[in-house]
Amino acid sequence: MNQTMPGQWFSQIALVVSLEMRKTFFSRRGLWVYLLALAPVLIWFMHSMIELNLRQERQALNAAHPVSTALLRSIQRGATIDEVVNKVGEPFAKNEFRRPNIAVAIYQYTDGDNVFAFQFRDDRLMNINERDRDTIPKDSLIFAAVFQSFYLRLAIFFGCVGVFTNLFRGEMLDKSLHFYLLTPIRREILAIGKYFAGLIATVVIFCTSTFLQLAALSLHFTGSEISEYLAGPGWGHVASYIGVTAAACLGYGSIFLAAGLLFKNPIIPAATVLVWEGMNIFLPAALKKVSVIFYLQSLSPVVAPPDAKMPAFQKLLVTAAEPVPVAWAVLGLMTLTIVVLTVAARKARKLEINYSTD
Amino acid sequence: MNDRIVLDNVSRFYGEVLGVNRVTLSVPPGITSLVGPNGSGKTTLMNLITGLVRPTRGSIQVLGISPTNPEKLFRVCAYATQFDSFPRGMTGFQFVYSYLRLSGMSHDDCQRTTAFAIGRVNLGEAAHRKIAGYSKGMRQRIKLAQAIAHDPRVLVLDEPLNGLDPLVRAETIALFREFAAQGRHVIVSSHILHEVDTISDQVILLSNGYVVAEGKIHGVREEMSEHPMQVIIRCTRANVLASRVFEQDHVVEVRLHADGGGLLVKTRDADRFYRALNHLALDGVGIESVAPADDNVNSLYEYLIGGEESTR
Repeated sequence: MNQTMPGQWFSQIALVVSLEMRKTFFSRRGLWVYLLALAPVLIWFMHSMIELNLRQERQALNAAHPVSTALLRSIQRGATIDEVVNKVGEPFAKNEFRRPNIAVAIYQYTDGDNVFAFQFRDDRLMNINERDRDTIPKDSLIFAAVFQSFYLRLAIFFGCVGVFTNLFRGEMLDKSLHFYLLTPIRREILAIGKYFAGLIATVVIFCTSTFLQLAALSLHFTGSEISEYLAGPGWGHVASYIGVTAAACLGYGSIFLAAGLLFKNPIIPAATVLVWEGMNIFLPAALKKVSVIFYLQSLSPVVAPPDAKMPAFQKLLVTAAEPVPVAWAVLGLMTLTIVVLTVAARKARKLEINYSTD
Repeated sequence: MNDRIVLDNVSRFYGEVLGVNRVTLSVPPGITSLVGPNGSGKTTLMNLITGLVRPTRGSIQVLGISPTNPEKLFRVCAYATQFDSFPRGMTGFQFVYSYLRLSGMSHDDCQRTTAFAIGRVNLGEAAHRKIAGYSKGMRQRIKLAQAIAHDPRVLVLDEPLNGLDPLVRAETIALFREFAAQGRHVIVSSHILHEVDTISDQVILLSNGYVVAEGKIHGVREEMSEHPMQVIIRCTRANVLASRVFEQDHVVEVRLHADGGGLLVKTRDADRFYRALNHLALDGVGIESVAPADDNVNSLYEYLIGGEESTR
């Protein structure tokens, strides 16, 4: 007991973290957080499996109907069916039907990777639809859109709701919070210790998920494609995505720790923050900075351009509102986190046990 | 006044519900029992003393420390609550050990002190079992072990004897006495009045959030002039003694025992009665024993709080 104050605080924080760790990682109440984190891994894994299957199918079709990419790309609009067949052979799929006054035919070819659909009207080639196989740059943009619109805004957001609001509120419900409140520990230190415990748990769970998502996404690319990507921006992207994930846990964690201390029902503040974060793009410049997503979007390594096919709502979610430089984004997020944690610590200082009314 | 627990005009309301109201106390070291029916404010008073709830009005000092400073308070104070819930998955040993570690003790000291504290409540064999598998009595004992582990000067215990078998109960009471004998505070709430009677140095009687009496049981009883003191006398020639006793102007009622070997006397002035009894004894009445019949917590409870709730 002869430690100096800061030394004692650090050791108390470490003790709270170690006591909380098992609860945050293995609580039955938190099982759904794992599901939330693993859901996108499963989705990307299925995407890769489907892509691998499609490629195998295309390669089998190409073996049965061999044709090169260059030859397929040399076909011009206006050609007749016979000219096309003479040049590139029989298609692997043929679909012919009549519309009033028009004979329509769709001939499909593959070079093993891409699918070319030639659409004829009255024996003349009118349209060429080339469905390219997925490439890393293409999937990188899709990943960025899903990461920003689903993973950051929903999965990590609600994961942090589940973990951080439970740090105090869960123990109130279990009627076991008095264990800590009867120890000679500053309540602020307790709040910080619990915050770090939640932070470690969410960072481990969600950063692992981010890494696994990227790994699952890369399953359908060839070794040479992956090596090329990693030699370029690849590792930087991986590190940035993991960093943004950790930053999201840091920011949302502080907000939901405070929410768990300030509100009996965390659903109400969670819904309010969700709406606030969602409407970030419409807010005036000063208010935009009072949100976590503003900084996270600025930190994201790949900016997902709103796709024309995207639903309007998703377009809003992926559109970064006047991104700031990385250093400013980190500083802004840290400041926001510290301010919210200070509010939480002050509330913890005045915390009362009143299990019967909770 | 630094060895006292001082509450100055303390009130606590839960919304519109009264917890305790205008409580002013200065509790000296020793065993102090909080007595009162359910909802009288015993637990609220303990929660206030230990800072688990804050007063709506008034101030509290525990040995000169405000309960708003848990980092200082719980170096000298410990509270075994009535809440029967524990951090999940902990063994009894881990429960006490973690508490001591959070108090700033080194690992080695914690190991030694935990084993000692658990030994004092005779729970050594079950120390490494999960608390979830403990009986009610074992859970009470592990809470007590945690409370005494860091050798506090103030021990606050909410219903500590609940669920304990007679042998453990006696050992626990002996432990309280040992603490009190060392000049420490042991504040106990209990419904079991005969035990309160035997262990308490002073009592605080609560009803509906108000302190209705406080102090040493005998002193409180003496101040209740509206209820005559009752004295049981076992003697020979009880009828003769009864007629002599009844001549005293402060004696209001005398009842002969059915066996004729004693009587019950009600007097408004116990001191004068005992002096008079000495003279009567010298006059040849064979007095075998004299004992107060209602100079105990049970009677105080009955007189001051009445039949609000039956007690054991």
